[in-house]
Amino acid sequence: MRLKKANSLLITLILCVGAVVSFFPIYMAVINSFKTQGEMFASFTALPTKLHFENYSQAFQKTHLLNSALNSTLISFIGIGGIVICSALAGYKLSRTRGKMSSAIFFLFVASMLVPFHSIMIPLTRMAKDLSVQGSTYGLALIYIGLGVNMAIFLYHGFVKSIPRELEESAQMDGCNEFQTFFRIIFPLLLPITVTIAILDFLWIWNDFLLPLLMLTDVNHYTLILSTNMLFGEYNKEWSLILAALVLTSIPVILIYSFFQKFIMEGIAEGAIKG
Amino acid sequence: MPFKIYRKYVMLLAFTAPALIFYAIFLLIPTISGMYYSFTDWNGLNPNYSFIGLGNFVEALKEDPDFLNSLWFTLKYVLVMIVLQNVLALVLAVLIESRIRSKGFFRTIFFMPNMISTIISAFMWTFVFSSVLPQIAEKTTIAFLGQSWLGDPKVSFFSIIIVSLWNGVGYMMIIYLAALQGVPQSLKEAAIIDGANAFQTLRSVTLPMITHAITICFFLTLNGAFKVYEVVYGLTGGGPGRSTQVITMNIYEEAFSNNFRYGYASAKSVILFAIVLIFTLIQLRVMKKREVEA
Repeated sequence: MRLKKANSLLITLILCVGAVVSFFPIYMAVINSFKTQGEMFASFTALPTKLHFENYSQAFQKTHLLNSALNSTLISFIGIGGIVICSALAGYKLSRTRGKMSSAIFFLFVASMLVPFHSIMIPLTRMAKDLSVQGSTYGLALIYIGLGVNMAIFLYHGFVKSIPRELEESAQMDGCNEFQTFFRIIFPLLLPITVTIAILDFLWIWNDFLLPLLMLTDVNHYTLILSTNMLFGEYNKEWSLILAALVLTSIPVILIYSFFQKFIMEGIAEGAIKG
Repeated sequence: MPFKIYRKYVMLLAFTAPALIFYAIFLLIPTISGMYYSFTDWNGLNPNYSFIGLGNFVEALKEDPDFLNSLWFTLKYVLVMIVLQNVLALVLAVLIESRIRSKGFFRTIFFMPNMISTIISAFMWTFVFSSVLPQIAEKTTIAFLGQSWLGDPKVSFFSIIIVSLWNGVGYMMIIYLAALQGVPQSLKEAAIIDGANAFQTLRSVTLPMITHAITICFFLTLNGAFKVYEVVYGLTGGGPGRSTQVITMNIYEEAFSNNFRYGYASAKSVILFAIVLIFTLIQLRVMKKREVEA
C-alpha cells in the first residue's frame, strides 16, 4: 500500500512529535546531569555551558557503582543460567512425554504464571529468612530461578514441538543416553528460544526493584537499581547528582539494547506469540 | 512392559526435578502458605497465632477504607491503562508500518523507554514534573504546564498514567508491529481495489487479522497494571496522604512498614490474586470469542 506523498509527510510529522515527547525526559536528564545546581535553576532547557563531570564522579562513588553493577551482573548471570538449564530440561521432557503426570506438572507450571508477585512476597520473605538466603546475592539469584522457570518452561515446551523426533532417535541408536542426547543434540537446537528467554529474563532481573528491596539488607550486596533508589532517597533535591546517577544506571541497558536490538524485538514478538 | 513405563516416569522426574525444586521452594510453597496465613492473625514473628477463618477478608472488604480506596484507585488505573496503552501502541504501530522509510528509527525511539527500569523512569519524570515543566510554564506563561503534577491527587493520577504509558507503550507496539507484518499485503490491496479507504481497510481487514495480538496485549496490560508499584512509588510514594496508593503498596505497608500484620496482609494478597484471576479469565473468554468470529 503506497501512500500519497502528503499523507506520508503528515504521518512522519506525527511520529516526529511523538518521538520528541518520548525522548524529552531522557534528553532533560542527560543535559542537566552536566550542569551545576545554579545553572540548572537558571534554565533547565538550555544546553550546559561547560560539561560538569564532577556530578558523575560523585554519583559513581556514592552509588558504589562498580560494586552494585557487579552484583547486578552476578545475579542476572546465575538467574538466567539457572532458568535456562532447568527450564530447557523440563520443557523438553514435558513436551515429549505423554500422560497424566506430564500434563499435570506442565499445568502446575503454567497456571502459576497468573500468580502476582505481590501475592507471594510476604511468605516468600519468610521462606528466604527460614532458608537463610535473605541478604545474599546468590540467594536472590536462586529466587529468580524459582520465579522464572514457569514462563521459560512454557516457551521451551512450545518450541520443542518444532524439532523432529527422528534426530533424538538416531542419536540414541548411536548410543547416546537421554541426557547426552539432550545436551548434544537438543539443547543447541533450542538456541533461538534460549536467546529470547535470556533477553526477557535479563530485562526483568536487571531492572527489578521490589524483590531486591525485600531481600537485600547490606549495602554491599545492593543491585544497581537499589543503590540508585537509595541515593534518590538521601539526596532528594540535589538533582545534578541524582540525574547523573540515573543516567549512569541506564547506560548498561541502553548499551545492551543497541547491541542486541534485533534480538530483543524478535524476542518480545516471539514471546508474545508463543505466550 | 512395566519396566518401560516405570522408566518413563523416572526420566520425566529426572528432567523436571531441577525446575520443580526451585519452583516449589520459591513459588508454589509461598503461594500455598500465603493462602494459609490469610486465615490467621499472625504477625510474622510471634510463634503463637490463631486461625480466625474469614475474619481478615471481612475486615479488608468491610472495615478498611484505605484498602478499598487503593483497590478503587488500582481499578481505575487498570481500565485507563488497558484503553490508552493499547490504542496508543496500535496507532504508533500502524503509523510506523505504513511508512516506508525510517521505520527502524521510530521503532527504536518509541521502544527505548521500555529498556529503562520503571523506578528509574519514575525518578526521571519526577524531575520533569517537579522542576522542568513548572520552569517552562513560568518562562512561556503556559499555565497548564505549571500545575501541581504530583501534589494534587486528581492530576497525579494522570501523571502516573503518563509515565506508565511512556514506559510501557513500546513493548505493546513491538507486538502489534509483529502482528501487522503478518497481515498479507494482498488482502489489503484487494480491499483498496474494492474501493475501501485506508481507514476502512484498517477496520475491516487489518484489525480482524490481528485480534490474536490484541488479546495478548490486553492480557499483558491487565496483568501488569494490577501489579503497578514502582511508578507510583517513584512519583508520589502513594501520596499526598494515601490518595494515590495502589493495592500492592497497601499490602506492602500492611506487612512490612506499618503494622506487621502478616496474616491480614496475606488476606489482601489473596484478594489481589483473586481479582487478577477473575479479570483475566473474563478478558480471555470475551476476546477468544471475538477471535473465532473474526
